[in-house]
Amino acid sequence: MARSFRLYEKKRGNRRTGSSKLGTAGEAVFFAALALLGCGGLAVLFVTWVIPEWRANHQFARGVCTVLKTQVGEKQGDDGTLYRPEVQIEYEIDGVTYRVSTYDIHTVRGDGYGTDRDDAEAMCGRFDQGEEYVVYYDPSDPYVAVVIWGSSWRVWLSMIVPVSLVLIGGGGLVYTLAGWGKSAERRAAIVQQAAQFAPFSGNGASKPDFPYVPVPTNITNSPGTKLAFRLPVVGSPAWALSAWLVACLLWNGLVSVFVVIVIGSFVEGHPDWLLAIFTLPFALLGIGLIAFFVRQLLVTTGVGPTLVEVSDQPLQPGKRYRLFLSQTGRLKLDRLELLLVCDEGATFRHGTDARTETRRVYEQPLLCRDGVEVTGGVPFQTECELAVPAGAMHSFKSGHNEVTWRILVKGSPARWPDFERSFPVIVYPSVNGKSDR
Amino acid sequence: MTEPSVTIRFDGNGRAYQPGETLSGEYRLDSVRREDVKAVEVSVLWHTDGKGDEDLAVHDFRRLSAEDGDWIDARSPGRFRTVLPKSPLSYQGAIVKLQWCVRVRVFLARDREVVGERPFQLGDVPATGARES
Repeated sequence: MARSFRLYEKKRGNRRTGSSKLGTAGEAVFFAALALLGCGGLAVLFVTWVIPEWRANHQFARGVCTVLKTQVGEKQGDDGTLYRPEVQIEYEIDGVTYRVSTYDIHTVRGDGYGTDRDDAEAMCGRFDQGEEYVVYYDPSDPYVAVVIWGSSWRVWLSMIVPVSLVLIGGGGLVYTLAGWGKSAERRAAIVQQAAQFAPFSGNGASKPDFPYVPVPTNITNSPGTKLAFRLPVVGSPAWALSAWLVACLLWNGLVSVFVVIVIGSFVEGHPDWLLAIFTLPFALLGIGLIAFFVRQLLVTTGVGPTLVEVSDQPLQPGKRYRLFLSQTGRLKLDRLELLLVCDEGATFRHGTDARTETRRVYEQPLLCRDGVEVTGGVPFQTECELAVPAGAMHSFKSGHNEVTWRILVKGSPARWPDFERSFPVIVYPSVNGKSDR
Repeated sequence: MTEPSVTIRFDGNGRAYQPGETLSGEYRLDSVRREDVKAVEVSVLWHTDGKGDEDLAVHDFRRLSAEDGDWIDARSPGRFRTVLPKSPLSYQGAIVKLQWCVRVRVFLARDREVVGERPFQLGDVPATGARES
């Protein structure tokens, strides 16, 4: 059905999407406003700071002046008193004597104030009363003269904000206008074409033979000792342990301040019972955190590294492979399991947040052993078969959606919490896309 | 008066294809006057339609524009033909769904658009139900 401009377009699922034209117009206005704001800021900076400074450095004439007096000028600002150096000088040009109070070009223009009085005094200290110094004056108005010249770092620093606004606003405006009136398919085609020339391939630009299947580089660059490839582990337990350590230190560091005050009050014979009661639950939580961290430390060091090797990579649906598992450490495991799992991941916007939901859609036990004992120096090692189900969806990754395959190692140590380690694998589409069932 | 529309037909009436196969067919514009057509875009694309935000990628994109001097005859059917890629395959997962289709978008005078779409299956990955949350 033909359609022209609409505020709302068709519903997608249970979501009503807004008019793309209205959205694009809104984006364009937003970016244009940012760019204009940046241009305005730059213009003000140029007129008030950059151009006067450039003129003082390049167009002023050189002369000699005598310093009559130095003083720290003051004025009331919004956040208190502001200070600036002021140097009274006298100089003669073409037989006419001029007497002005100056410092640099910003002082001449009525600015040049700072919050630090000591800084202003130090600047005044560079000039001695009665001594002669070089002065630069404006030939068209000799009353405008400076005894300090050059470029101020403040000028360039203050440009960061307006320049950023111009770049973000201008870039966004160009991008929005480039997509104006173009269909989603045409925009996608342009982006894909541009991505081919990008120096680093992005999300979707995986191996050209298998678009949108992740490239298996990271999982095939480590040869195994028993089988062809050693798989990398995802989410090293050392990182989790470090995070718990930081949390433990931060919490107990804060609580310890209150604990010291409470203990001090008891030692001095004036117990602060209210503060003690208030601090107690926080201190108990801190002790719990320490206990949990020590437990995690023992589990991590006790379990030891898990190694998984596979006979071939990438995997293909309907094919069989060999898997090798090596578990080191010093512990007794009630159960040790090896699983092949497939998870779907979807990232979506919820208000201003980006959320990711994962759903397990396939789980196949590969190995299950009860009563495994791992002693120091002798790792538990075993091999098993890995059969990727025929007709399985291949690994897939796009901007907001993905299908991932992993080998999971799950262990249940006696008297310790369970642990789980994850090893990603890549599943390619089957030959000719047929499921070989 | 009948509303303008687009009809898409695959050769051989096939709706399931394997990677590397050739997808071909034709599209026809109905109730559209020739002088009203400003441009026609024919895309072979996939898009996701699950819980996540929509991803869309174009495998084959052709644009005919009257402004660029292309001859667009609304009365005779237009043809499309492309060799399908090895991936991604069509997929009906629990929260990730991937759908292939041919989409024809016709830009008409007075800023109007007509869109026709015909889905097809690439590969034969069976639909998956969630086994565990």
